[in-house]
This record gives sequence, C-alpha cells and structure tokens, in this order.
Amino acid sequence: MKKSHIFLYFIASLLVLIFLSPVIYILASSFKPMNELFSSTPTFFPREFTLDNYVKAIERGNFLRYIGNSFFVATTSTFIAVLINTMSGYALAKFRFKGDTIIIMIILSTIMLPLEVIMVPIFSVLRAFGLYDSLWALIVPAAATPTGIFLMRQYLLTIPDEIIQSARIDGASEWRIFLSIIIPNAKPAIATLAIFSFMWRWNDYIWPLIAISSPEKYTIQLAIANFTGQFGADYSSIIAMSAISMLPMLIVFIIFQKQFVQGTASSGMKG
Amino acid sequence: MKQQSYKSYKFRQKAIPYLFLAPNLIIFATFIIFPAFVGVYYSFTDMTLFTFGTPNYVGLQNYINLFQDEDFLAALKNIISLVVVTVPIIFTTALLISLLLVQPIKGKNFWRAIYYWPVMISPIVVGIIWQWILAGNFGLFNTIIRNLGLAPIETLINPRFAWWSVVFAKVWSRTGYFMIIFMAALLSIPTSLYEAAKVDGASRLQRFWHVTYPALKPARLMVFILLTMEIFKIYPLVVTLTGGGPFEKTEFTVQYIYETAFKSYQIGYSSAMSVIMLLIVTIFTALNFFFQRGGTNT
Repeated sequence: MKKSHIFLYFIASLLVLIFLSPVIYILASSFKPMNELFSSTPTFFPREFTLDNYVKAIERGNFLRYIGNSFFVATTSTFIAVLINTMSGYALAKFRFKGDTIIIMIILSTIMLPLEVIMVPIFSVLRAFGLYDSLWALIVPAAATPTGIFLMRQYLLTIPDEIIQSARIDGASEWRIFLSIIIPNAKPAIATLAIFSFMWRWNDYIWPLIAISSPEKYTIQLAIANFTGQFGADYSSIIAMSAISMLPMLIVFIIFQKQFVQGTASSGMKG
Repeated sequence: MKQQSYKSYKFRQKAIPYLFLAPNLIIFATFIIFPAFVGVYYSFTDMTLFTFGTPNYVGLQNYINLFQDEDFLAALKNIISLVVVTVPIIFTTALLISLLLVQPIKGKNFWRAIYYWPVMISPIVVGIIWQWILAGNFGLFNTIIRNLGLAPIETLINPRFAWWSVVFAKVWSRTGYFMIIFMAALLSIPTSLYEAAKVDGASRLQRFWHVTYPALKPARLMVFILLTMEIFKIYPLVVTLTGGGPFEKTEFTVQYIYETAFKSYQIGYSSAMSVIMLLIVTIFTALNFFFQRGGTNT
C-alpha cells in the first residue's frame, strides 16, 4: 500500500472516532447506574449494566406517551406531506397554466421566511384557528414543504407525457390519473420525501414549542428540552430518553441510506 | 346546452392544476405568509400576549427602542459572529471530507454513512450529548484532559468556551450533510477535465484550484446559502447545550425573540425583532449571491 493511502485511511478512521464516539458514549451512559453516571472517575462503557434509567423514564417521566405522540405526528404528517406535495409537484411538472411563475415565487418565498423567526405571529394564527395545544397544529402546517414540492416536481418531469395523454383519451378522470399513474411512477421520489419528512417531524422542536402547552401532548423533543430546563433536572432519565429518541432514525437510516444520500445530494433537502 | 357543458368541461380542465396546488398553497398562505404580514403589523403596535382587542399603533417606537436595547444588540452581535465563524468552518470541513471520500479508498459507503450519522440526530439531543460530554469537572472531556495531566477547563461555565462549544456542536452535527452535497458535485465533474490538466502538467494543488474549485461553483453557492440561513436560525441546540448562558453569551436572536414574546409577553416588540432578523437574513443571502455569482469564472 502506498504511503499516501495509509495516510488517507488514518484520517478517515480519526474522523470515525470524532463522529461516532459521542453517540456511542451517550448510548453507553444510558445503561450506567446512578453512581457511575455521576462518578468522579467516569469510564466510557458501563462497569455495571442496568436498565434503571429507562424504567424511571417510563414510570415517572410518562416517556411512552411522548414517544407515542411523536410517532403519531411524524407518521400522519408524512402521509399528508407525500400526498399534497406530490399533487403540487404534479401540477407544476405537467400543466401549463396562468400564474405558474407567481405560484413558484410564492413557494420559494416561504423558504426565506424561517419558522423560527416568525414564531410569534404563527402562534397568534394557531390560537385564532383553535389549533393551539393540539397535535394537529404539528401535523398539518408542517406537511407543506417547498423542498418536498420541488423534489416531486423534478422527478415527475421525467414521466413521459404520452402515458398521461393516453389515459385522458381513455376517459380517466384527472384524480384517477394522479392516483393510478403518477403515484406509482413516482415511488423512488416518494420514498425519499417520506423518509425526510419523517425525520423532520420526529426531530422537530420549533412547531411543538410554539403550539403545545399541555405536558400530555409533548413530543419527545419537547419533553427532553423542557425536562433539561427544569431546576434539578434528572439527567439519568433524560439520557435514557435521548438515547431511545435516536433509535427510530437510526433504523430508518440503516435501511434507507441510499435515499438519504440521494435526497441530500439532489436538492439539499431542508425541512 | 351542449355548448354550455363543453364550456364547463373546459373550465374544469383549466381549474385542475390550481386544485392540485390548493392544499399546499392554502397551508403556506395561512401558516407562513399571512403570519409574516401579521408580524409586520404587530411590529408597529404595542401588542402584548394579553391584548385581545386591537392593539395601539405606536409607529416606529418598537424599532427605536430596539436599537437602544443592549440585550438585543448583544444577541445580534452573538448571532452575526456565530455565522461569520461557523459558516466557513463547516464549509471547509465538509469540502475537505468530501475530497477525502472521492479519493480511491475502500469502503466509501461505510465512511460516508458514519460521517452522515450525526445529521439525523435532533438538535435537542445533539445539545444533550455535548452537554453530557463537556459539562463539569468530571465529564468525559475533562476526564480526558486530566488524564493528559492538564488542568480541567470550565467548558460551559466560561462564556468564551461555551460559545465555542456551540460552534463545535454545530460543526459536528451538520458537516455530514454538506459533505454529501459536495460529494455529489465532485463526482459530476467530468474526468476528462482532470486528464487534460494532467497532460498540461498541472500539480495536484493546481488541479484543485483550476479545475475542481471552479467546477464546484453551483454547489458552493448552495452550501453557503443553506448554511447561512441555518446558522441564523440556531436555537434548539442551544436550549439543551447552554440554555443561552453563561451571561447570555450564547443567547442568539431567535431565543431572544422567543423570550421577549413568551416570557416578557411583548408581542409587538418581539415582532419588530423578527422583521429586523428577516431583513438581515435576506441581506446575507443577497450578498452570498452577489459575491459568488460575480467572479471571473463562469
């Protein structure tokens, strides 16, 4: 092996250490008993293995409830996002109509209006619509994403017009064409969008922060953040919660690595 | 009669794209664009969280107060310095790692997957991870420092270290994302360009500056804009990593806007901050376009 190659592998391995070890350390810490968590001579891996932190998070922290809320929000919102973003992508890819440039400009302008910056008026709007402190406030508004629309539009441009035309001649309704031709043909892009949408909603903190106040409606991210902020926060269960909250994304990533890479590379996806 | 039904058929055909776009546009209009205008309106009023009627019009008073509010100016200074420092660091590390991964080394997918991994962790949990490692005299970080025979560092207590911890956590969690964008761009550069440069006797570094770097132009612009927007919006990571402390050294504008509205209840005043913030983000984005577009390369 050439010397320069050994150097490359050395750098690559060093980077693995930097990117991976913090995650492994938090996972390992979640299995440590109390005395080890707050020991003055901490070790990387637990000396004694325990599930106490998880038990405590479930029994005292109402942890399963938050996981359940997050899961409900992420799956429902992803379903809606796939449906409506594909519809918009289809309209922009396959129809010519008056005002299409204006509509594209409107969609683009939403990228320049970050949620984080306009939190306060959004809160007023949610309150006015009676959506405040409802999980639906996390599901519906977040389902519309400019990146999702452009991802779908880009992909749907590759579907030949002839298929759509011949279905029209056969007398199929537009909605029928959308469901039976467009959706099945857009599967790869839909998979990418679904995965990203799930990740955005699962990891989201800003929408829950604006919209949710009752503790029984907390999502997992909101719960972790609020418990950390409390005086005398119980770090043992916070660490257990954090470790578990990474798990769904980890599994999704291992299965769908290809979609993640393609999604990021193609449009710089950002929720 | 026949004519009429043909007309209504035509109308329906014309209406179809709008109908397909409607759900998305209604959501954007209701939850993003309308609130943005409402925010501009609030910024000229004395609205509080408990105002239920029409708030009083106060003209530019909120904006005038804003530029005399030392805490706001400090938060603004914090965020601008964070953008100026963090954006180039992430940009450079992402580019360097992507260059490493396009070299002929084995197990590319494996390396790439590991570097990308932190991207999927929520900012809240990234904050928890680094807080757990950095905080206290007996955290993992200071244990390593002590084992090296050095004095422990007051990582999250010393304002300066705390500020750099935010930078570091952001670099750690976001580099993988931009690495992927650069990798895709690098792999799309035609190899014939490199061969031509090689024939001309260009060195490795020359090839980078004269072939690779110019060819990366669209990717560079995209990464710069996405990154700048992202750093400006920083908040969740800070919630769990530093909470904005010590001495408000890591309190950035989004947190200040949030606290002014929901802890001091001053909706009008915090809306004025949002408007200023949107202007700054827009200016930075425009500057990015200007500097990256205007150049000698095509």
